[in-house]
Amino acid sequence: MNVIETKNLKKIYSQGEIKVNALNDVSINFKQGEFTAIVGPSGSGKTTFLNTLGGLDKPTFGNVMIDNLDITKLKANKIIDFRLRNIGFVFQSYNLIPVLTAKENIEFIMLMQGYSKEKRNKRALELLDAVGLSKESKRRPGQLSGGQQQRVAVARALASKPKFILADEPTANLDSSSTKNLLDIMYDLNRKEKMTFIFSTHDQRVIDRAKRVITLEDGKILSDKIT
Amino acid sequence: MLIKLAWRNIWRNKKRSLITISAIFIAVFLCVLLRALQLGLYDNMINNVVGSYSGYIQIHSKGFWDEQIVDNSFSPDKDFLNEIESIDGVSNTLQRIQSGSLASSSDLSKFVFVTGIEPLKESSLTNWEKRLIKGQLLKEESKSLNVGKGVAKYFDLKIGDTLVLLGQGYHGMQAAGAYPVSGILDLKNPTLNKISVFMTLPQAQDFLSAQNMITHLILNKKENKDEDAIALDIKNLINDEVYEVMTWREMIPELEQTIKADSAGGLIMVFILYMIVTFGIFGTVLMMTQERKYEFGVLISIGMKKIRLIKTMIYETVLLASVGAILGIALSRPVIIFLSPIKFPKEQAQMFENLGFEAVIPLMNTYDIPLTHGFIIFFISLIVCLYPLSVIIKLDPIKAMKI
Ligand SMILES: Nc1ncnc2c1ncn2[C@@H]1O[C@H](COP(=O)(O)OP(=O)(O)O)[C@@H](O)[C@H]1O
Ligand SMILES: [Mg+2]
Repeated sequence: MNVIETKNLKKIYSQGEIKVNALNDVSINFKQGEFTAIVGPSGSGKTTFLNTLGGLDKPTFGNVMIDNLDITKLKANKIIDFRLRNIGFVFQSYNLIPVLTAKENIEFIMLMQGYSKEKRNKRALELLDAVGLSKESKRRPGQLSGGQQQRVAVARALASKPKFILADEPTANLDSSSTKNLLDIMYDLNRKEKMTFIFSTHDQRVIDRAKRVITLEDGKILSDKIT
Repeated sequence: MLIKLAWRNIWRNKKRSLITISAIFIAVFLCVLLRALQLGLYDNMINNVVGSYSGYIQIHSKGFWDEQIVDNSFSPDKDFLNEIESIDGVSNTLQRIQSGSLASSSDLSKFVFVTGIEPLKESSLTNWEKRLIKGQLLKEESKSLNVGKGVAKYFDLKIGDTLVLLGQGYHGMQAAGAYPVSGILDLKNPTLNKISVFMTLPQAQDFLSAQNMITHLILNKKENKDEDAIALDIKNLINDEVYEVMTWREMIPELEQTIKADSAGGLIMVFILYMIVTFGIFGTVLMMTQERKYEFGVLISIGMKKIRLIKTMIYETVLLASVGAILGIALSRPVIIFLSPIKFPKEQAQMFENLGFEAVIPLMNTYDIPLTHGFIIFFISLIVCLYPLSVIIKLDPIKAMKI
């Protein structure tokens, strides 16, 4: 079953006279349970593509269907709520809330979803355990290493029980051991819980772990390989 | 959790928050103190002038205020008095009859106001014991006079001396009499001191041939009751073809004007302090908002509704403002209680007394001054919130996260 379908996605940025085709006629589907890397050189459109899939950016043309709902047609307020309930985000620079502890960062998203305090507490502890940070639950982001922060970010993305997780260059700021550690965790979650991951990267070691690799160039799909 | 988040965000930049809180604290503290002092001063002025002589409300026969003669007097019966006294907020009533007369002693003569009073009741309004400087106060059955110290000085009167009074009584009757002076009063008001001659009400009615008639029915109000509301109640109750009801504001408009003018000066100070506070809060909120645009972008990306985000910013601003305001209010209270009443050094005290005021200013120690200022701060902080509100509404998460 396709969780995401895109049809003829185009994103054109115009800066005065110059027009940039950040996405050029991208039609592609993603299935439940995929572990997919979006690769390509800098400026190839990876970020734009992920932002469009996540409803952060609207395409100039084309549609993004998530479970058969066209999210490009949703109003600004609706799309925020849609993201909250359906999509998990992991960013390159972690982007945790600095004044909240690791556990509170994870709980925060469930709070917005309206979970009870007990449920939030229980699930946050489970997720911290899943990313191997039970001991660090009371630390704030500033007291965690980059790798630890990114693991909290993955746990936060999972907390809302999304349909899929989008991660834009999640390992770009991490050293090789943290990168491996994070990928192990993501891989495990994908295997055990069938969580769908779509992540962009240009790190060969990360690409090697992906089950499907989509290569972009100048906003176009150059190749789409299942390994 | 949103409040927890707001609280922690405030302490992200401790120094800045402390400066903002201190600014609000100082402004509120000064505002409350300033207003307590001013309003206390006015209250004291009103008490001195109004409370001790004219009363807060007076009832006259219609037309008396414009033509103050004995012919414009009235005779209140028991039912009428009961009715007035049963109005909510009225504590008691007292009766006076007043008429201008010519006073003479030896070869001097001078115009005075002869006022017939009910000595016992009158002391509920005027602090007669404190006013007496020589001799004895009038009693219910006294046949003598109490005179203002200015009158005594003019005639060089001593206790026991006789003053001759000549005037016009009710309906053109001749009013004449000679009375011994039994007491000399300092009415704490130079004008009153120069023209006041008191006798008992029955004796004055006798002197003026106006049996049972009075010119003034004076009403005392209970503390913290509004004289204008009481006056309105009375106007609704009595026949306004026959009577006129006046508050001190109408009888002594100069006093109110003085207070208003002075109060306006104080309010300008308060306004300036609040401008400082407003800019202080605004500056902080401006920086808080600007440096957190990126974070707002993240929060909106992961699904935080803008309205929720706005709410946390409002919590932050209001919390920040409240901490300062509450501190200011809380600390102003003991200071006010400690300072009050303010006593002046001797020379200044003398100056005040010459002007007819008691040289003591009790600071106004009510809850509505701090409450008003607390509310103003709250309101200012809400207005300041319009800024982050507009930033958040316009915020595009992708742009905000691009640095
Ligand atoms: N806001 C923007 N305004 C103008 N051009 C943009 C904007 N965002 C991205 N682009 C352009 O779109 C192309 C794709 O960018 P991006 O999706 O960030 O690529 P990647 O993430 O693969 O490096 C680039 O040429 C970039 O310069
Ligand atoms: Mg990118």
